[in-house]
Amino acid sequence: MTLDFQRFILTINDRKQLKGAKYETYANGVAVVGRSCGTSVVNATTAKDIDSFTLDNSMKIMVLEDSSIPNANMYLFWKVGSRNEVPGITGISHFFEHMMFNGSKKYGPKMFDRTMEAAGGANNAYTTEDMTVYTNWFPANALETIFDLEADRIANLDINAEMVESERGVVQSERTTGLENSNWRTIQEALKSVAFAAHPYSWSVIGYESDIAAWTLADLQQYHKTYYAPNNAVVVIAGDVKLAEVKKLANQYFAPIPAQAPPKAVRTVEPLQKGERRVFVKKESVTTPNVMLAYHVPATSHADYYALDLLSAILSQGNSSRFYQGLVDKQIATEAVTYMPMSFDPNLFYILGVANSGIDAKNLELGLIEQINLIATDGVTSNELEKVKNLKLMEFYQTMETINGKADTLGTYEMYFGRFDKLFDAPDRYNTVTAEDIQRVAQTYLIRANRTVGVLAATEESDK
Amino acid sequence: MTCTLASVAMLSGCATSSKEVGGVATVVETGRFSLPQYQTITLENGLKVNMMVQKEVPLITMSAVVRVGAVNDTTSGLASMTADGLMLGAAGQSKADIEQTLDFMGASLQTGADNEGSYISTHFMSKDLDKVLPIFSHVILQPDFDQTEFTKLQQRQVVGLSQQKESPRAVIGRYFNKLIFAQHPYGNPSSGNSESVAQLTIDQLRAFHQSYYQPNNTAISIVGDFNPSDMRTKLEAVFGQWQNTEVAVQADLSQALPTLTKSRVLLVDKPDAIETTFVIGGLGISMDNPDYVGLTVVNTILGGRFTSWLNDELRVNAGLTYGARSGFSPYSKAGVFQISTFTKADTTKEAIDLALKTYARLWEKGIDQATLNSAKAYVKGQFPTKYEKASQLAGLMSDMYLYGFNDDFINQFQTKVDGLTLADTERLIKQYFPQQHLQYVLIGNAAKIADIAKQYGEVTQISITDSGFGQ
Repeated sequence: MTLDFQRFILTINDRKQLKGAKYETYANGVAVVGRSCGTSVVNATTAKDIDSFTLDNSMKIMVLEDSSIPNANMYLFWKVGSRNEVPGITGISHFFEHMMFNGSKKYGPKMFDRTMEAAGGANNAYTTEDMTVYTNWFPANALETIFDLEADRIANLDINAEMVESERGVVQSERTTGLENSNWRTIQEALKSVAFAAHPYSWSVIGYESDIAAWTLADLQQYHKTYYAPNNAVVVIAGDVKLAEVKKLANQYFAPIPAQAPPKAVRTVEPLQKGERRVFVKKESVTTPNVMLAYHVPATSHADYYALDLLSAILSQGNSSRFYQGLVDKQIATEAVTYMPMSFDPNLFYILGVANSGIDAKNLELGLIEQINLIATDGVTSNELEKVKNLKLMEFYQTMETINGKADTLGTYEMYFGRFDKLFDAPDRYNTVTAEDIQRVAQTYLIRANRTVGVLAATEESDK
Repeated sequence: MTCTLASVAMLSGCATSSKEVGGVATVVETGRFSLPQYQTITLENGLKVNMMVQKEVPLITMSAVVRVGAVNDTTSGLASMTADGLMLGAAGQSKADIEQTLDFMGASLQTGADNEGSYISTHFMSKDLDKVLPIFSHVILQPDFDQTEFTKLQQRQVVGLSQQKESPRAVIGRYFNKLIFAQHPYGNPSSGNSESVAQLTIDQLRAFHQSYYQPNNTAISIVGDFNPSDMRTKLEAVFGQWQNTEVAVQADLSQALPTLTKSRVLLVDKPDAIETTFVIGGLGISMDNPDYVGLTVVNTILGGRFTSWLNDELRVNAGLTYGARSGFSPYSKAGVFQISTFTKADTTKEAIDLALKTYARLWEKGIDQATLNSAKAYVKGQFPTKYEKASQLAGLMSDMYLYGFNDDFINQFQTKVDGLTLADTERLIKQYFPQQHLQYVLIGNAAKIADIAKQYGEVTQISITDSGFGQ
């Protein structure tokens, strides 16, 4: 049972909850790989199926015509996330995401949702460390309504004091329910604050409780003015639409919104970590310890991204993975997963293990580290490498199976790699990764001095 | 594995605005959507096969459903463990070998059981059909049920059942079904509980497999990039010799269904809870109910979309929660209806009272024309996206087999929504939404909320660490 609406999810920062839905996890960490031989890709989308154009105000729009169902999507990717925050206003990017639904000039409070739903559409949004993404899913004949709704809130958002107060309660509940129901979220929040000494990735996307309670109307108004300018966004429209119609509506609704000076760059560079860091979190209802390891890794645009992504899959994807074979099958862990978010700045490569009964946190930690070190010392087999390349190709096709997957992935690639068509280059990039590359990135990044260890358990181990 | 229909009931909607006069229903155009063409064949042994070609990506989904689930459990969790046990080695190939072979192709194979069905589903690149099909068939027909692997799986499942209780949201549905159905088979949690799963033996799994995994008790649905005549030949080769052994015995689930005569509250104590997670509801409808589509529309207004009454009141107006919703979960012979949300411990009473007050609007004020028009538009507009992927379409066809409905579910959906009038909604509200003797499950810190719980009915308090999901 799903209790909450998926809207306003914080980010895909809870991979554990995605377990069992492997073929639906295209969002965020999507990766693509391919081998050029053997597969008939006659009907699969290729780069030439996508048209893109840029409005005079520098808003870039990508269009993919796909009439497989009578529906379409519009995704708006804004370059603003918790990375753009400072202490005192942590969580404001995500809070602002909520406020974007709470009324503007033409469509007042509640009218964004009411208008869209009456036209057969639904929406959602998510905020990550790097960006805020708005998602609209609708029958294709509602396209103009969606343009009208989006243009109104981009150009004319009305931040109402009363709405701010009720939305504070909503976000506080979102924060609470995340901590209540997700061990991942609980431990990750503490771990990030230790792993980052300077960079704003230090705090969770939802922010500190005291900041949620404290931000002001002026903070929000400033945020909208700074970040919600058309030159700070890219838009993807996929589905049963025609390019000419999209161009006409984009010019009519989005083009009149003026560009603004680009936001200030994030200047802080996280200093080099020079030794292991540790953090412990107590939660009485945790039945067996959870151990999270995090290692600093480069930004997604770095050449090592592909090797690290394949390393992640070798460690944890499928029951033939290193973690399953070395830990789960041996009854040390009940699960062990990895997660490496796409990221504008250097970020973390996460590993989470959940102990089996009778296994203490220390043994689980040593078991996880042993598996990592085996790769650093002995490398990986050619069979393992080919396997994860095939897994990535499979994920790619599953992503391209729906208009939703296509829209999300095209925009994600445009944001993290600078060009959406890098999505279609990815197979070659993965194919060039060698077993030596995998071993090298393990030796370079997954080392003790670069590691933060988080433990979540019912009781802290004694000093004796 | 989830039931497609149930999830539709939880989350549907669709159309654009227009006007209705008197008892004439509004029709809003949202684009035509019908089920893609497919073939159904029945092999001589009774195995039903559905084949639907979809060539957008070079993938195939192959999904088998066996008519057996937790309702058939003799020990709680048996159906689920039997389904999971299929992957412990088959036709002499070890668990690790099977997993390695599938993973190498980028393929996946998942098994599971819910109330009334057991599922084996595989997703793979179409070029690998001849490598995956033998594994798929071996797993279904010739599982080895290896003792060593079973012992390991069993131990992990027992620990996993305790770990799941760390998240109230993950388990509250099981407590609610147990409260509603008690000893009726619909009260059986498909996961079993930590004590029952610990008692299971490999011989029970073998016997269960022998009794129910038979061709005339199974359907296979294949969706994706393949040639139907080639596929038929291949399927006949691997499944044609599968023999029926005995008649699969099915309990009559329409017998001994509960009658709810008083309000009850199951209070599940989780001392370190920082919020209260709760469900309020009662009996719902069965899958074959002719008013299913109409109820989907009415529920959309109450608690099935973002602007629903429940979400609007509890979240948007009051800021008490991140989300509130309602929905029918239909089974073949019964079902449940529930309102669900969560709030911080201090606002538990406020949130429950507001949920009840909002629910009462169904009878006190009813639905107005503009809201009905919007809900109809929403239900129709979102419908096609639920049947876009191969896995969704294969799941739909599995449900058709299991619950005995046909293409009309998709092809008549828009017409049924279009035809719904205000008068219809009044009848549906009176007839189906439980108004009396509501049942409650509250998971939270009992020290803080026990006094609140007793205001809503007869309270039974248990600890979340107790084995199982209630009496």
